[in-house]
Amino acid sequence: MTPLHQFGDLLRESLQAVPLVAVRMLFVASLIALLIWVLRLPRSATTPPDGVNRWDENLKTGAALALSIQILIYALL
Amino acid sequence: MLLAATNLLTLPDYAVIALYLICTIALGVRIGRRMKTGTDFFLGGRRLPWWAIGMSLVATDIGGTDIIGVGGAAYSHGLAVANFEWIGCVPAMIVGAFIFIPFFYRTGVYTIPEFLERRYNAGVRSVMAICWLLFMACNLGIMLLASAKMMSAVFGWNAIACIFVTAILVGAYTFVGGLAAVVYTDMIQCGVMIAGCLLILVLGLIKVGGIGELKTRLAESNTRQDAATHQVDRVANSDRPAQPDSSASTVTAPVAAAAAEVVASERASLILPANTQSPFPWPGIYFGLALILSPAYWIGNQAIVQRSLGARSEFEARASYVWGALLKNIIPLIVAVPGLIAVALLPDLPDGDRAIPSLVGVLLPAGLRGLFVAAFLAALMSSIDSYLNSAATIVSNDLYKRFFDQGVSDQRLLTVGRITTIGLVIWAIAFAFLLTAMREGSGIYAIFQTLMAFFQGPAFAILLIGVLSRRATGGAALIALLCGIGTSISLYALNQPTVYEALRWEPLFKIQEPFLYFSIWSFGVTAVMLVGLSLLGGPVPPDKLKYVFGHHAKAAKVATERDTGLTSNAEGESQ
Repeated sequence: MTPLHQFGDLLRESLQAVPLVAVRMLFVASLIALLIWVLRLPRSATTPPDGVNRWDENLKTGAALALSIQILIYALL
Repeated sequence: MLLAATNLLTLPDYAVIALYLICTIALGVRIGRRMKTGTDFFLGGRRLPWWAIGMSLVATDIGGTDIIGVGGAAYSHGLAVANFEWIGCVPAMIVGAFIFIPFFYRTGVYTIPEFLERRYNAGVRSVMAICWLLFMACNLGIMLLASAKMMSAVFGWNAIACIFVTAILVGAYTFVGGLAAVVYTDMIQCGVMIAGCLLILVLGLIKVGGIGELKTRLAESNTRQDAATHQVDRVANSDRPAQPDSSASTVTAPVAAAAAEVVASERASLILPANTQSPFPWPGIYFGLALILSPAYWIGNQAIVQRSLGARSEFEARASYVWGALLKNIIPLIVAVPGLIAVALLPDLPDGDRAIPSLVGVLLPAGLRGLFVAAFLAALMSSIDSYLNSAATIVSNDLYKRFFDQGVSDQRLLTVGRITTIGLVIWAIAFAFLLTAMREGSGIYAIFQTLMAFFQGPAFAILLIGVLSRRATGGAALIALLCGIGTSISLYALNQPTVYEALRWEPLFKIQEPFLYFSIWSFGVTAVMLVGLSLLGGPVPPDKLKYVFGHHAKAAKVATERDTGLTSNAEGESQ
C-alpha cells in the first residue's frame, strides 16, 4: 500500500460518502449557474453587429433553450 | 432472437445507400471547383454559414462506430452513456460559443497550435501539432478498420473492400473540396444520420408499446437480472464446483455477480454512484468529462474548432456552436435510447454491440434498412473527412509553412494541403492493414485510443491558463505539457495488471477503463506545474499578452489613465 493508494482510498471514500441527491443538485446547480450567466451576457455578445434585434437573432434564446433542456434532463433522469 | 441487418439488405436498400453516396460525392466535387487558395481549402474561404457548421460539428462528433457502440453501451451499462452527449457536450459548447470561439476567430489563426505559438512559443506549438497529427493520423486508420470490421460483421461485407472504398470515397471529396466540402457533406450526413436513427427510435417505441411500457419492461428486465444475480451469488457461495452444463457456470465470480447487480439497478439512471462497476461514476463524469475532457474537445480540438474558424463572421462562429448545442440535446435520444429499447425487445443478446443491428433487423422493412446503413456510413464518413482535412491543415500550416517555407504562397499551400490529404489516405489504409496484421486480442485499438487521448487534459490546461493568466510563460507551458502527458502515461501503465502485479501493488483505479480519471490527474499536474514554474520565471513579453482575455480592455484602461495623467500634469505645469 503506497501513499498514492492511501490518498486514492481516502478520496474514493470521501466521494462515496456524498449522497446521490447532493450529486444531482451539483449537476443541476452547475447548469443553472451557466444559464444565469448566459442570460446576463451583454446584447453585443449575443446579437449580430448589424442585426435588427429580433428575438430569433439573439443567441441567448437558443443557448437558454439548450441549457433549460439539460436542466430538465438532469433534474428528472 | 439474434438478427443482423446484414443478410436482410434488399435491392431497395442498396438503392438508398447508392443514392446517399452519389449525392455526397457529387456535392463534395461540386464545391471543389471553387477551391483557389489555401484559405479556401483549410477554412472554406471563411464563407461557411452557421447552420452548416453547427450540423457539421454534430456529425463529426458522432462516428460510425458510435452509432452502434453507444446503443450497445446503453444496452450493457444503461442510460449513463448519454452523459457523453449531454453534460459532456452542451455546457462546453455554450461556453465555447460566447468566450473561446470568438476569441480564436478574432486572432485570425488557422489552427490551435498556431494560437499556442502566438501565446507561448514555437516549442509548445510543435509539441501540440505533433500530438494532434499523431492522434488524427492513427485515429484515421483505427476508424477505418473498426468500421470495416463492424460493416463486415453486421452487413456481411468484405472488410478489406470496406477499408479501400471508404478511404477512397472520403479522400476524393476531401481532396477536391477541402473544409467546405467536409462541412457541406457533413450537413447531409447529419440529416441522414438523424433520420436513420430517429426511425429506429420511433418504430421501436411503437413496437414496445410506448414510453410507459418501455419503463415497465426495463424494470422487468432488471428484476430478471437481479434474480440471475442472486442465483450467481448462491453458486459462488456454495462449495459445490460449477457443473460444465450448468447455466450458472458461465458466470462464476462474485465480482461478476456484484457487477450484474449494480448494472441492473443503474440501467435507467443518468447519475451513477462513485463506486459503480461501470466506467461512468459521477466523479469521472462531472470532474473528468464535464469540466476537462468536454471543454478540451469542444474548445481545443483542431478538427472541431477549425470549422468555426471558417465561419462568415464572428457572430456566425458563435451561432454555429449554439445551434450545435441545441442539436446535441436530441442525439442521445436517437443513439442511446434504442439500446434501451433493445433491452426491452431483445433482452438475451450475448453482447451489447449486437443490440442496434439486431433491432434494425427486427424493426425496419426493406428499403428503410438501407436508410440505417446510410446513416451508419454518414456517421463514419463525416468523422473521417474532418480528421483528414484537419490533419492536412496541421501538416501544411504548423509544420510545412512554419518550419520549411514561411513565405509560401496561398496557392502553393493549397497544393501542399492536397498532397498531404492523399498521403494521409494512403497512410490510413496502410495503418488499418498494419493493425489487422497485429495479434488478435492484443487490445491494440483500445491501447492506441487511450494513449492518444492522454494529451487532451494537459493540452486544455495550458490553453485555459494561457488565455486566463498574464503570468503563464512559454518555457513553463512546454515543461508542464510534457509532464502532464508523462503523468497520463504513468497512470495508464500503473493500472496495467502486468505492471502492478510485478510491483506487487493494488490497481490505482477500481473501475473499468478509468480514462476519465487519467484526464483529471494529468490536467491537475499540468495546471499546478504551469502556475508554479511561471511564478518562478520572468515577465511575459508584451506581444504574447495580446492573446490573454481582457488584454485589450486593460490596455485601453492603462492608456486612458496615462492620457489623463499627462493632461493633469500639463495643466499643473501651465498654471
